[in-house]
Amino acid sequence: MSSKPQALTSVGPMRNFAANAKKIATELIDSNDDLVEFNKRLTGYYQQLADTWANAQKKVNAKMPEIPNDQEQFDAYKRIWIDIFDNDFTELFDSHKFGENYGKLVSSELELSKHWEQMTNVMLQSANLPSKKEIDEVYKELHTLKKRVSKLESQNKNFKPRTNKDD
Amino acid sequence: MIEENRLDPKIVEEFLKFGKNMIEAPKLVPAPDEINMEVTEHEVAYTEDKVRLLHYKPRTSNQTKIPLIIAYALINRYHILDIHPKKSWVRNLLDQGIDVYMVDWGTPTNMDKYLDLDDYVNIYLDNCIDFVREEADVENVSLQGYCTGGTIATAYCALHPEKVKNFVATAPVIDGWKDTTVISNLARNIDVDKMVDTIGNMPPEFMYYCFSILKPFEQGIEKYVNFFRNIENKNFVDNFLRIEKWLADTPPIPGALFKQWIKDIYQDNLLIQNKMYVGGKHISLKNLKMPIFTQVAVGDHLVSPECSMPLHYAVASDDKTLRVYPTGHVGMIASSFSQKKVVPELGQWLIKHS
Repeated sequence: MSSKPQALTSVGPMRNFAANAKKIATELIDSNDDLVEFNKRLTGYYQQLADTWANAQKKVNAKMPEIPNDQEQFDAYKRIWIDIFDNDFTELFDSHKFGENYGKLVSSELELSKHWEQMTNVMLQSANLPSKKEIDEVYKELHTLKKRVSKLESQNKNFKPRTNKDD
Repeated sequence: MIEENRLDPKIVEEFLKFGKNMIEAPKLVPAPDEINMEVTEHEVAYTEDKVRLLHYKPRTSNQTKIPLIIAYALINRYHILDIHPKKSWVRNLLDQGIDVYMVDWGTPTNMDKYLDLDDYVNIYLDNCIDFVREEADVENVSLQGYCTGGTIATAYCALHPEKVKNFVATAPVIDGWKDTTVISNLARNIDVDKMVDTIGNMPPEFMYYCFSILKPFEQGIEKYVNFFRNIENKNFVDNFLRIEKWLADTPPIPGALFKQWIKDIYQDNLLIQNKMYVGGKHISLKNLKMPIFTQVAVGDHLVSPECSMPLHYAVASDDKTLRVYPTGHVGMIASSFSQKKVVPELGQWLIKHS
């Protein structure tokens, strides 16, 4: 008789855990491709920020000689720095290229989330707990029922007046 | 010859004072929990699920017969319209004799992920308005929608025009393709189906990301530098912390509602083209024949004027007013300028139309 944990997975009700563990391993392997894609997108995202920062700093440096050397110098420098950086970064965030890349970055992040969700579902199933999909079905059913009740009630609205109104 | 590098003593003095202010900040500044955001006295008139309808206590002996119901936005919470006694939109209207109600959409949980525009327009807002109609014994009410609340209120006016006597659209999100903000650029490029199917409700963290890239250096640096410079000014600190607390408190947006809003407004731009449907019912801006007062801010970096103003030109109303103010999205509703110019103009218009 073996006391090794894996023996538990081979017979009886825990057998499904062994099968599920395989699913988790598969998900982990599959998620690698998406992790590579996500890292690529994330690098691209930070590259855009870094390039914009470098260009904005160049513009600030070019303005430096114009700032008078007096007691307002620090505030003037700060103002120019903030204005140029805000303008350049807003231009970046407004650009189609940034929007498109950001959309792809979020999309790749969501792919990773899906793998995480699949793995969690396997664990939940092993523990005889409802999966996200099953809970979602309950939420959806509840929403549909509540909506039906609301619409039925609205056919005969009868609001209870407040007892303490205009005390 | 060695050139002497001199530092202006005033700069040194300012740096030292700034450092001292940063060290003393924890002693001078109240914790966020100590700030009471419920400024003007009110009671909860009606509740449904997580939605609450607030009714503000009158501050004048006579009030207008037609009450005003404010449909707040989906982002952040209604407190901005009553942020400070001296900058309160609500209090100013009450002082002008207007009977004010406010819709607080509450904080949706995962269970609410299937709530959609139909729920917000045809159930929650409709029930709030019916409650007020019955309580105030009036046929119809004045309705104000702010920001995304403006979109919800616009859809409501199109579907239930008989219940709205006057419509006030304050920075409403209407023409998504004309919106020039960073928000619209992100909204147009996200796969919203995948996003909502994967994560359900739109989490506050995503909204905070969107806010963080709006004027990032002005908001991320200059604002806090000013805060530490003015840390001994109690009024400044109080105002600053109230706004910060409001900014940091945004509820999640129900997934189904977020999906429809992004797709119909920003991606497909259906509302302004009269092609949008809510709960299977067609939304036509031509149904908006009631008096309409549209307020937009030139410096609005969340909802650009180009996005809001098309409402004024698309509706069928003969009695419509467009006001363009030299301020921003929040400045239009919660600032000294707002108190002196924006709310008094609205109050006069409402009184004239009540």
